Amino acid sequence: MNMIADTMTANMDNKPEPQVNLDIEYTETVGAYTCDDAKISTRDVNVFYDTNQAIHDVSLDVGRNEVIALIGPSGCGKSTFLRCLNRMNDTIDICRVQGKILLDGENIYSKKQDPVLLRARVGMVFQKPNPFPKSIYDNVAYGPRIHGLTKNKAELDDLVEDALVKAGLFDEVKDRLHGPGTGLSGGQQQRLCIARTIAVQPEVILMDEPASALDPIATAKIEELINELRKNYTIVIVTHSMQQAARVSQRTAYFHMGRLIEVGDTNKIFTNPKHELTEKYITGRFG
Amino acid sequence: MNKPINNTDQVKLSLKKRYFKEKVFKSAGLLAIGIAFMFLLVLLTDIITKAMPAFSQTQVNLTVSIDADELGLKDDSSREDFMAADFRQPIRQALRDRFPEATKRKVKKELYTLVSIGAEYQLRDAVLENPALLGQSVTMDFIADDDVDAVIKGAIDRTLPESDRRVKDQKLGWILEMEASGEVHKTFNWLFFSAGDSREPELAGIKGAILGSLYTLLVTLALSFPVAVAAAIYLEEFAPKNRFIDFIEININNLAAVPSIVFGLLGLAVFINFFSMPRSAPLVGGIVLSLMTLPTIIIASRSAIKAVPPSLREAALGLGASKMQTVFHHVLPAALPGILTGTIIGMAQALGETAPLLMIGMVAFIVDIPQSIGDPSTVLPIQVFLWADAPERGFLEKTSAAILVLLVFLIAMNAVAIRLRKKFEKKW
Repeated sequence: MNMIADTMTANMDNKPEPQVNLDIEYTETVGAYTCDDAKISTRDVNVFYDTNQAIHDVSLDVGRNEVIALIGPSGCGKSTFLRCLNRMNDTIDICRVQGKILLDGENIYSKKQDPVLLRARVGMVFQKPNPFPKSIYDNVAYGPRIHGLTKNKAELDDLVEDALVKAGLFDEVKDRLHGPGTGLSGGQQQRLCIARTIAVQPEVILMDEPASALDPIATAKIEELINELRKNYTIVIVTHSMQQAARVSQRTAYFHMGRLIEVGDTNKIFTNPKHELTEKYITGRFG
Repeated sequence: MNKPINNTDQVKLSLKKRYFKEKVFKSAGLLAIGIAFMFLLVLLTDIITKAMPAFSQTQVNLTVSIDADELGLKDDSSREDFMAADFRQPIRQALRDRFPEATKRKVKKELYTLVSIGAEYQLRDAVLENPALLGQSVTMDFIADDDVDAVIKGAIDRTLPESDRRVKDQKLGWILEMEASGEVHKTFNWLFFSAGDSREPELAGIKGAILGSLYTLLVTLALSFPVAVAAAIYLEEFAPKNRFIDFIEININNLAAVPSIVFGLLGLAVFINFFSMPRSAPLVGGIVLSLMTLPTIIIASRSAIKAVPPSLREAALGLGASKMQTVFHHVLPAALPGILTGTIIGMAQALGETAPLLMIGMVAFIVDIPQSIGDPSTVLPIQVFLWADAPERGFLEKTSAAILVLLVFLIAMNAVAIRLRKKFEKKW
């Protein structure tokens, strides 16, 4: 770290390096934004809130069974971008999305795409744990019920148990499955929300700062869980914690003021960032 | 001047002033609560003390001989014959027997006013129920006239000189004699809860108005609750943001501020004159009141729906629930306590509403107890209005009693609102 900082100061004391364009209006994404086996690929995505542009020309691929972390300072548009991936932005009247977002090669913003079906395929976990004010069982069973995924009670019971086991919550709640979901601790609630999402058996899970409201122990459990889930799901996670991004993700994308500045393997981004903004952010110079 | 490094001294100086202000504000608040409470106390004490006498009724115990021949009745007489028979005579005879000294026509006439004109129907009903009484002599309680009632309850001062007293010495003498012998006594006034309105205070009851209010509120609830909740859900969850919807919103808010009598005029013009619905009926009353209640429930429901945390909607949508499922599975249950509270507030408003119902004829004098929403009837607040307007002294206590019944209804409705709120409220 020190070495990076030293070279930086050295650079700034001498003459500024001209090859890095700090005027982000004209910044091209640094690094390989494409993937060989892309589950999701976005091309030239622009998002507007009324007349205010929140996302500028973002092109990014998400590989199959990979965890990609979206990092960046507050208000950089990473959550907005995440919410485009399952069309959650549809619920905001003033929000307009332009560009192509492909899930397995199909444009999710095409007229033929049903947002309800899309959200069954692309699940989402939110920043604040938001279990329904129902029992733990009903929380997990809600998704399968509305989609008619099970034929009878026994199948549903199995599905609920399976989801809770996968979310690493089953042992803690097996004695009070019919107790209120809101009675759990914050970390347990968040894992309940993950179990609820898994129960629908999606292909992709979007996580919007899933551990930001949790203590370190609960956070560790969530991170462990993400590593576990990677085997079966493609995961896009927005996080404010760079350590978390480093621990759970294979690729990292750095957003700044609505633009995708740099994307690449997590290891490389954190050890050898190419763009000066990325470097400043991960060394804690701003954010 | 040397400025101190920190402001501790300055803060200390200002503290005293700040605490003083706080104290002043606290005592002003206490005073306000005290005044409000005092007013409430005065109001309630006044109403309750005035209303209490209405719940007891003076009865006159008489021994009546029921002569079948004089009544022109036989054991096998039809119901119509009983209805046509003159049961007034046996009662008059009984009164004459009790006070044989009354021989002059004028005195006898005065004597007959000891019991209510309803007494003959009491006797008729008793005989109808038990025809074996024919030809026998029965001792039973008859409803006393309202003047006798007033004397017994102390509403007419017995010590006043005769010229200032409504009940003259002779009648007072009879009353006092019967009171001393226990022939005149007070019982609980069941009739008040089982009879309809009457011109005679001692026969007037509130059942007609209670049922009228009940039917009216049922119609109001059945119409306004589903319509208002559906409107609130649509406006909050589904409506696009455009000028037309804004226009509707503004008009709903305006509707809540329209003077209620205007709704009465509208009801008269549209429902009664144009659609030829029955006059004075709870059906029309309910429709008019639901027009008035709709904006209240819509506004309350909308704010209840708005208060549902967006995270709940996102959770449901994120799982792939459709908009409809999100609203009906999650938003509506969460908003239900607020919606119900708003509904009951609207209903309580409707229960106390008088002006629009005056316009559609519910102010008519209606003796019969309504059997359905199409029958002419009146409602509690209008009954209060009618009785307060009546000249007879006996209606004074009835007025207060009717107010009390209305208040009991309101308190009961509020209690239900609180219970429902507690039941449906869930912690987040």
